[in-house]
Amino acid sequence: MAETLVLQLEGISKQFPGVKALDDVSFDLRRGEVHALVGENGAGKSTLIKVLAGAHRLDAGRIVIERQPVVIDNPAQALALGVSVIYQEFNLVPYLSVAQNIFLGREPRHRRIPGLIDHARMNAESQRLLDSLGVDLNPRAVVQYLGVAQQQMVEVAKALSLNAQIVVMDEPTAALTTREIEQLFAAIRRLTARGVGVIYISHRLEEVFEVGHRVTILRDGRRVDTLGIQDATMDRLIEAMVGRTIDRMFPRDFAAEKGEVALAVHNLHRNGVLSDINLTVRCGEIVGLAGLVGSGRTELARVIFGADPYDAGEVKIFGRTVRGSPAKCVALGVGFLPEDRKREGLALILPLRENVVMASLRRLFPSGIIRRAKEREVVTDFVKSLDIATPSINRLTKFLSGGTQQKVVLAKWLCTQSRFLIFDEPTRGIDVGAKAEIHQLMNELVKRGAAILMISSELPEVLNISDRIYVMHEGRIAKELAREEATQEAILRYAMGGVK
Amino acid sequence: MSGERWPEWARRAAMAPGAFYALILLSLVFGVFTAQFLTLHNLANVGIQASVLIIVALGMTLIILSEGIDLSLGTVLGLASVVLALCVKQQMMLGVGILLAILVGVAFGAINGTLITRLGLPPFVVTLGSLGMAQGLSLILTKGRSIPGLGPRVQYFNDGWVAGIPVPVVMAAATFLVVYVILYHTKFGTYVFALGGNEEALALAGVRTRLYKTGVYVLGGALAGVGALVMTGRMNCAHPDVGVGLEFDAIAAVILGGTSFERGKGWLVGTLIGVAAVSVLRNGLNLIGLSSTWQMSTVGAVIILAIVVDALRGI
Repeated sequence: MAETLVLQLEGISKQFPGVKALDDVSFDLRRGEVHALVGENGAGKSTLIKVLAGAHRLDAGRIVIERQPVVIDNPAQALALGVSVIYQEFNLVPYLSVAQNIFLGREPRHRRIPGLIDHARMNAESQRLLDSLGVDLNPRAVVQYLGVAQQQMVEVAKALSLNAQIVVMDEPTAALTTREIEQLFAAIRRLTARGVGVIYISHRLEEVFEVGHRVTILRDGRRVDTLGIQDATMDRLIEAMVGRTIDRMFPRDFAAEKGEVALAVHNLHRNGVLSDINLTVRCGEIVGLAGLVGSGRTELARVIFGADPYDAGEVKIFGRTVRGSPAKCVALGVGFLPEDRKREGLALILPLRENVVMASLRRLFPSGIIRRAKEREVVTDFVKSLDIATPSINRLTKFLSGGTQQKVVLAKWLCTQSRFLIFDEPTRGIDVGAKAEIHQLMNELVKRGAAILMISSELPEVLNISDRIYVMHEGRIAKELAREEATQEAILRYAMGGVK
Repeated sequence: MSGERWPEWARRAAMAPGAFYALILLSLVFGVFTAQFLTLHNLANVGIQASVLIIVALGMTLIILSEGIDLSLGTVLGLASVVLALCVKQQMMLGVGILLAILVGVAFGAINGTLITRLGLPPFVVTLGSLGMAQGLSLILTKGRSIPGLGPRVQYFNDGWVAGIPVPVVMAAATFLVVYVILYHTKFGTYVFALGGNEEALALAGVRTRLYKTGVYVLGGALAGVGALVMTGRMNCAHPDVGVGLEFDAIAAVILGGTSFERGKGWLVGTLIGVAAVSVLRNGLNLIGLSSTWQMSTVGAVIILAIVVDALRGI
């Protein structure tokens, strides 16, 4: 069998500050094989692919391509070694033709006139490539005006023309319709028939069964298992994917009194993104919103906060219908703590003090003149009550740690007297100790009557501090789970669409 | 599927009708309100006067397509004109003067391009600095005065005829052809679209993006040098201020023509339409008797109007 191996990854490790993203992961790929890579959010799939694509340098381990050990320092080297990665965000030039994109950087020269491109030959060869993939596409068409599925086929054709021996597809079906998925699978089968090895990453396990030959499961940066597809079952995969240890978590106090309804969403629909969403959040409870990346959690949060419009249904906050206006939501007492707090939650170059009061200036200083003494008083109170670790309230926010920054964002919303807080990945990028502190703060907030909707990809976090959990799958609420019935397996099963 | 239903030229034409309709509308208005506008003599005059703008705007189109900007093209043209005039006054061979004028443009393009690509500086700031430097050099070289009386050999660039066609029109047409072939039939042209559309994809394809991006500014500068020949011929003198504000008209023409600052969207024929619209507007306003100060704000208002209309139509 060894001679059919096109790629071997041996003992790959990759460390990021605070996280071991990959820990001694081995993976191999045979000629003409589709090898699926599955795992929860953050299991290490993307990091492994980036190591292979030359976007990350590996800390330890060995990459062997065609039985030659290789070093991949940058994306160009990966391409030269026959590795083509098709990312979700395509690497295409919008206002060039299909053929120009396929041959970008390798344009055929005109036979008679030096310096010119031979468009006729380029178009003809592109046509041949597209035909061989079974794709009905005009090589002269401008990429910008093509649909997502067609653009993806251009990427596949490009990989083929580069003579790629290894093609990586990262969530290739995320934006495709059922018919387009069939066409993609047909193209994948034609690739493998030519001896190309395909690494297929997908959250949709049913696709893995349809197109894959083998499947490798990653969890917490480690390889759990590699199975032939005939030995794999949905249950077995899910079982292997979960099982994260729950350690050093803050024990939540679930005694809080449930109060008025903070958020009520009825039959909410946003074309192509969200359908048929029903959910409620009451004061005094933390409601977890689980689901895989791309399942529509953040999109839902944005619609609730008014940052995006919706097409049908209703969003009521504290009994008032709101639509498409974050300002109105804030006025009603909603605070949004975004996942990317450095960019969307804070003004990093401003001191802590200004970040805390920036959303409450009108309330604190109705005259329009900022009084430093009062500002100092208000901010110092928050620094004390939230235990914000800073040498001074004048410290620039960019010099604070991740956990402290999150507390500053929280202080900003508490300063506006928010009673309903939406946390998007509240502890992402925050170290373990600070995590527990954030969880404790959330606990205190609901005890004092606030309502919290928490989006999180970390199942232990969701399980540990949620009163109830909604699981999303492809823009819908797949299941509402009470705290007692929620387990990692159950959440993952619904998140993967494993239960119809 | 819309990618296949329409032929390429039809889609391109549909991208930039803002300037096209503006051109027709302006021509009608000026045709009705002035007796002279729709005369052969006047229209030929518009064509001759537009030729400098065409030459500069073609270079500007490529720069904007690559998601850049060059504010210095106008004053670089002025400096090239001054250099040409000095050479003529020094009794040098005309060829040397022409070469040096174009080299001025090439040098500024190379400096701009190098600063932008090697140091990662924003094109707006770099070329704003160059604008000042070129203008300052012109003033130093001329001590702030014009250099008049350059003689018929230089005037030929504006007054001469080739096969019954005015020389400036021939030069503008030749420039258009050359730039057209470069943009649509060479690697360089393909990479111009890619620089603006997805520079990372281009780099991943193993292309030396910094080299090509610098090349875009060099070409733009060289064309400013070519434009200087016609401009100097028309005035029969070099004046240090001659190019001031020309970059404004060039950028206006490119944008009116449907080339966008984003993602490498645009086309060369649109720039011709844009130049025609700007030139007709200026000519018509002249005929009506509007002072040049008012012309500037009118052209500015027309640009904003055209962009608003295009944005509302979703182009």
